[in-house]
Formats: sequence, structure tokens, C-alpha cells
Amino acid sequence: MADITLPTAPAQNTSLLAAVSALFRHRLLSHGKVRLALLILIPIFALTILAPVLPIQKPLETNLRAMMQFPSIEHVFGTDKMGRDIFSRTLAGVQVSILVGFSVASIALAFGMVLGTLAGFYGGLVDRAIMTVVDIFLAFPSLLLAIGLVSVMGTGLVPVILAISLADVPRFIRLQRSQVLSLRSRAFIDAARTVDASQYWLMTRHIVPNTIAAMLVAASIAAANAILVEASLSFLGLGIMPPQPSLGNIVRDGQTYLEQAWWISTLPGVVILLIAVGLHFLSDGVRELLDPRSR
Amino acid sequence: MNYQAPVKTTLLEVRDLRTEFHTASGTVTAVDGVSFAIERGERLAVVGESGSGKSAMAMSILRLLTHPGKVAGGQVLLDGRDITKLSEGQLNAIRGHLVGTVFQDPMSSLDPVMRISKQMIEPIMRNLRLNREQARLEAIKWLGKVGIPEPERRIEAYPFEMSGGMRQRVMIAMALSCRPQLVIADEPTTALDVTIQAQIVEVLKDLTAEAGAAMMFITHDLGLVARFAHKVAVMYAGRIVEFGRVEDIFARPSHPYTQSLLGTIPSTSMLKSDRLPQIPGLPPDMRYPIVGCAFKERCAAAHDRCQREAPRLTDRGLDHRAACWTSHGLENGATLKADRPERTNKPFEPDGSVVVELNALWKQFETSRKMVVRAVNGVNLRVHKGETLGIVGESGCGKSTVARLLLGLEKPTSGDIFISGLAQMVFQDPASSFNPKMTIGDIVAEPLVVKARGNKAERLDAVRRLISQVGLDPAFAERYPHQLSGGQRQRVAVARALALNPSVVVADEPTSALDVSVRAQIINLLVDLKQELGISFVFISHDLLTVRYISDRIAVMYLGEVVEYGAAEEVFADPRHPYTKALIDAVPVPDPAIESRRTSTPLQGELPSPLNLPKGCAFASRCPMATDRCRAEKPALPNHDLSRQVACHYAH
Repeated sequence: MADITLPTAPAQNTSLLAAVSALFRHRLLSHGKVRLALLILIPIFALTILAPVLPIQKPLETNLRAMMQFPSIEHVFGTDKMGRDIFSRTLAGVQVSILVGFSVASIALAFGMVLGTLAGFYGGLVDRAIMTVVDIFLAFPSLLLAIGLVSVMGTGLVPVILAISLADVPRFIRLQRSQVLSLRSRAFIDAARTVDASQYWLMTRHIVPNTIAAMLVAASIAAANAILVEASLSFLGLGIMPPQPSLGNIVRDGQTYLEQAWWISTLPGVVILLIAVGLHFLSDGVRELLDPRSR
Repeated sequence: MNYQAPVKTTLLEVRDLRTEFHTASGTVTAVDGVSFAIERGERLAVVGESGSGKSAMAMSILRLLTHPGKVAGGQVLLDGRDITKLSEGQLNAIRGHLVGTVFQDPMSSLDPVMRISKQMIEPIMRNLRLNREQARLEAIKWLGKVGIPEPERRIEAYPFEMSGGMRQRVMIAMALSCRPQLVIADEPTTALDVTIQAQIVEVLKDLTAEAGAAMMFITHDLGLVARFAHKVAVMYAGRIVEFGRVEDIFARPSHPYTQSLLGTIPSTSMLKSDRLPQIPGLPPDMRYPIVGCAFKERCAAAHDRCQREAPRLTDRGLDHRAACWTSHGLENGATLKADRPERTNKPFEPDGSVVVELNALWKQFETSRKMVVRAVNGVNLRVHKGETLGIVGESGCGKSTVARLLLGLEKPTSGDIFISGLAQMVFQDPASSFNPKMTIGDIVAEPLVVKARGNKAERLDAVRRLISQVGLDPAFAERYPHQLSGGQRQRVAVARALALNPSVVVADEPTSALDVSVRAQIINLLVDLKQELGISFVFISHDLLTVRYISDRIAVMYLGEVVEYGAAEEVFADPRHPYTKALIDAVPVPDPAIESRRTSTPLQGELPSPLNLPKGCAFASRCPMATDRCRAEKPALPNHDLSRQVACHYAH
């Protein structure tokens, strides 16, 4: 008898794994939109990872003899006013983007799951307390909220991640709560209640595993959005501060020289566009694959 | 009586219709070469289980199939014109004017944000070329005809302000108001209670006869067919397997499937001790081509030829056709089998011990607007060991609330519940009663895990034993709920309910989501378990024939109260409360001879709102024999020790 324990956190992990492996089972790689997305994203991410070993100038290294040079074999995206290699800086910026996207998605997912589940499952006072705060946050557009928060917390990578997450968490709580509310009234919850299953058991075994699919889709959208918001903040001078490169501040640096050296702003801008398009195709594809109606 | 075919001319002729659904997992031929004709003023019932292609056929006739469905061949001649060749514009004119439709779900087939007037008046103006004023009068006239009280006022209502029965009446009024020559009704009463169903069926029958319209009526309820139809088409696996006049089909069915269907319904004349015959197996998977007769695996009369060649519809006498190689289907040598004919449904022998006792149970819910819904009002009930108590009543009568109170899913407002041992539940909807992410094995084991019974190996053994006990292969433990059919899922639900050796199992409409041919399997299973394990059952259903068959005692509920209680046989043979009488009267019996002799008018009106209960007898507002005393003074149910109780001033 003693060896029977309630499954704890690992149960959640395995169901997350199960959701991901289910995705692959449902022909993730043969889905048109997903393929297109991967075709765009994989080269960008691969170059980002390989950046340190590529034969290119370091992102912060200046070369005053090669300022504002047109793209060439040596400087694929050209150079800026201080002779820094824009290609190298762009790759470093993408690294920041990925970090921001991934962090924001994880934070939003974690807080959204926990608080949304509690609000939906317990209802009453817990629900009212959580949702009042959520509704206040939802009243502001997420970019404005992020700008406000950054101006309070200061600039830099961590404040940016926190600011964007804080704007996303309420949306995740809302989504999770609505899923929990509809699951809570399903007959299998009643069936478990008739054998006196604990509330912890109901949440971890019956509710959370059935909410993961939709939350993963929301997380992928949030990641794409976070990358754009970070770029916007940095462009406005509120995000990552130069000389540390970020896609947003590279574009900002270049905009003064648009007429003399269009490539400084334009090429990193195109990369932002490609990443955004790629991630949106990816989340769209994932959503379609997880939607039971499309199977 | 209403049926006077003026001139026998064909209104609708369907020739060799084929409908395909192109899905990711293959092409499903939902309708496979169906041919039939409907004459003017005739009512044809199309009978079949889910997946038999009956709805796909109706949708093909209207050309309302949605993607991925497609009419792949054949002709549909309506009034001599081939519908399959018309343009969308010409079709729209036909759909409103020549053909009217009534769908199953009155909740979703009316536009929720439009007033009834708007939804009715415009089509009438267009189709009958009337001005707005005339069209409005016409709409009001039809609402009155279908039995909507105060039609002049109700026409301005929104759909959400009406009950399901009222909405279905509106649908019928809309379908008939443009004077169609053909009305297609797809399960128009399935979502409704028996008493409301009886009213709706009468309305449809009278009004189509009055307008001289023909009707195609799709249903799985053979009782309704007997009440309603002139002709019957029985569909199985996309084909019509038998076609004929209703009297012929019921008196001399000649296809084994029709014979089996008729045999599996618990009838009023059947002895309760007889085991319910059942059709073994499941309908074929339509994604794969069917070689030979589609019914061969489930047919006791199947022989070599059935394996190789599919039979065509052949003449079996006057207007009667069947698709079977044998001449009379199941004959004496190969009758429809009860799975274990040696078993019987033994009557219950009380040994005195009470397993469940409900004393003066009250339950009130508070709505968000601080109104009090009085769901259960002073219910006293007892269930003895090994006894099956059937609870019947219309939706909203409180029967499901009683079940939830019994299981501890709700707390009573007052009164007490005594249960010796454990109560477990089998839920109505086999689709939502399982966590889709868990395997069948985990689902059945869950009660054991939660209660920490045994170690892993012991639980695995228990799960295997439980799964085989309900008649499934233990290998099912590895599967997920969505890989199982409805009947199999309901067996798993029973296995889960049995895991902790409960003393009483509450089954809330356990068969209502199942097909007729599978229903008998589940009922037989429950009967077996009751006898093998000595478990008591509380069986909640609106299907009165099934309740009569399976129950030892019956409690009839109305507005949260038990109005009649007694032995199942007695209550059915001699109902004393006017509501019980009306309820039993409303049940369509699968026998056209009985149905055609039926004279009584169905119970009028609907359940009063549980927000505002009448002071006197709850049933007084609908009771044909209600007096001033009934409206002022509530009749009490006598002491619950009596074996027969009726809460009525005038029936003892």
C-alpha cells in the first residue's frame, strides 16, 4: 500500500511531452505552413548559433577604415557609421530576440497556467481577486503597458523581458481560466469526484493535461509578439541599449543614414519581418494541427 | 384517417443517389445507390442508426451537404425537375417554396439575434408574394396553428425567450408557412421530452395532412415511425435494406436487420423475465469497401452468398421490397439471439435490507439574480439491496439532481441521505465522461489509485478483470476513449463504476446516446451485473419502455416531487396519477396497429417554471381533471413504507 503515491510534478511534464510528441505524430513536418515556417526560421537560427565560429567581425568590434560600406562578401549586410559588421550585429540581435521570445513565452505560460487554473477551478474569492488584477492589466494595450513598465524598471534585457511578460500573463490567465471553466463541468470530473479524488488530483490529472495544447499555441504566438515588442521598444530607445545590439536598436541607428546607407536599417528590418512571418506561420500550423476538427 | 391520397402522383423521386465524404482517412460512401419515391401527401419515415447515411441522404436531396460531402451520382427529381442540375439561385427558390425543412436541434437552427417575426415574415413575403402586413398575419396564423399561445405577442420574441419545444414549433411553422409540397424533418423530436414530442408529432401530422404536403421523416425511433408514417425505408450502411408500407414492415419484416431492430426494443407486451434479444457486433466501418452484404457479420441467417455478393432490393409483395438473399430473413432456424438466452431478468426478491434511503430531501439553487430554483422538493425514496429503482420524468423534473445528491456531487439544502456502502455513477454522455488524455486502463484504474487500493500489479489485474466483466477484451486497456464506439465506451463507464465494489450504481440516461442496436447490449449487461453482483441500481431515463423493462420499482417525478411510486409492472399496467397516465400515453409504441387506434389527445402545455412553483398540486396547470381543490391544496404522497403511492386528491 505504501508504494502508492499521488503523481506530482512529473505527471505534468509527461503530458507536456505527450502533447509535443502528439504534434509530431500528427505530421508536423508535412504540414505546408509549418514547412514554410521552418524553411524561414531554421537558417536564421542556425546562423545565430554558429555566429561565434563564423569568419565574421565580432558584433562590437569597430573598424574606422571601413565605415558605411555597401554589402559585400566580407560584410554581407554592409557596415555602419563606426565600421561595425551589420550582419554580425544582426545575428547577435536575433540571439536577443530568441532569448526574449522564449523567456516571455515561458514566463507567461507558467504564470498563466498556475493562476488561470486556480481562478477557474476554485472560483469565488480566488477567482475574483485574480481576475480583477487581470482585467486592470488587460485594459492597456500591451506595447503601451510595456513602455510604461520599462520606464519604471529601467532599460536592459531583464526589464524588457519582465515588462513584456507582465503584459502577456493576464491574457494567458484568461485563456487558461476559460478552458478550466469548461473542463470543470465535464462528466469525467464528476466521475473522479464520486471517488473522493482530491482537488490536487483533479487539477493535475484531469484539468491541466487537457489545457496544454491550446496554451502551447498561445505561447508560440506570444513568442512572436514578444520579439516584435522588444524590437519596437529598442527602436524607441527603451529596450536594449547600444552598444549591445538588438534588431530594434540596429534599425534605429541606421534610420539617420537611410539616404546614404539604406542597408543599415533595411536588412535587419527584413530579418525582423522574416522571423515574425515565420513564427506566425509556425503557430498557425501548430494550431491547425492541434485543432481536433482539422484531423 | 387524415390520409387521403387524392391522385397517386410522384412528388419526389430519388434514383441511385450516391453521396461521398472525402476525408483525410479515406472516402466514405455515406449514401450508396439509394432509390425511392414519395407520392404527394405521403409520409415516409427513414429509419437507421447513426452512420447509416439517413441524414446525409436528406442533405443530398436538399443539396445542403457541407464540405467534405459531395453528391457523386444519381438523380433527385422533385416535381419532375432534376435538383442535382439546378443552379444555386434556382435551388434557393425551391428550398423555401417547394421544400420545407425541420432540423433536429431547435437551439441552433433559429438565428439567436433575430426576432421570430423577422425570421418568418421575409421568407413568406418572398415565397408567397405578399406584402409585409399580409405576411405578418400569415406568420401569426401559423404560429397559432402549431400551438404557440398568444401568437400575436410571441412573434416578437427572441428564440432564447422560448423553450426547446416552443422553438421546434416555430421551426415547424416556418417550414410550413411557405406552403411547401415536401417537408423534410431530420429527427425533429429527438431533443424533446416524450410529452412534448407527442404534441409536436401531432402538429406535424395534422398540418402536413391539411396542407396536402408530403413528408420525409428521419428518425431512429421505431415507435414514432409506427405512430406517424405511411411508408418506411430502413437504411443500413448507406443503403435502403427494406422499404414498404408501415403495416407490412412491422407485421412482416423480411430483412434480418429490420427484424432485429424490432426485436431489440423492449415492448409493453414482453415479459420482464425474458432476456432482451440483441444484435451482436457493430455497424461496418464505412471507410472501407464492403464486400457482400453489409449486415452479414451481425446476421444469424448469413450464408456463403452473403459473403460474396451484395443483395439488391427485390419485391416482397405489395409495395414491399427488401435487400436480402433469403426470402424471409431470420427464420426459425436462425432467430435473433439473446447473447446468453439461458439467462433471464429475474424479478427482485427483497431481503429487507435498505441500501439507499432519502428522507425529506430538498435542494434549491440560487441563480445569479437571487432567484431560487427549487429543483428537489421533499423527496423520500428507498432502494433495497439488489433492487433497481427507475426514476422517470420530463427534463427539469429533478431526476438528475436527485442522482447528483445521491452521489454527493451536490449538497442537499435539507433532508438526509443514507447510503450503506458506496454509490457510483454511469453518465449519460459517453463522449464527455472520460478524460480524453487517459487510456481506458488508467480510467478504470483511477478509483483504485485515488483510494490507494492494492499495488500496481494488483490494480492491473483488477482492471483486466473489470474490463472483461463488462464484455470487452482486456487489450482495450491500452486504447484511448476516442478509439472506442459509443457502446464500448458505455461498457468502460460501467467497468469504472464497478471498480470499488459499490453497493449502488446510479445510471443517468445510460443508453440515450446509443444506437438502438447497441442499447440492448448495455441493458443486458446491467441486468447481468445486477444478478451476479447483487448491486442495486438507480436507473434514470426518459425512455419509459426501457425503464419498465429494467426496473423493479418506479418513481415518477414531476417538478421536483415524486408523484407516483410502485412496482414497475403495476405502475405501467395501472397508472393512477394523471401525469403518469399522460406520460405512458405519450410513449410511441412500435406497433402501427396500436398507434392507429390511439385516440387520446396528448398532454398539453409545458412544465411550469421551477422558479415560481404553484401553491397547490404542481401538475394542476396541465392536468385534465384538476379542480379548485388541486390548485389550492397540495396532495401529499402517503407514507413511504407503502409499496404503492400516488400524490393526487382524486386517484386512490
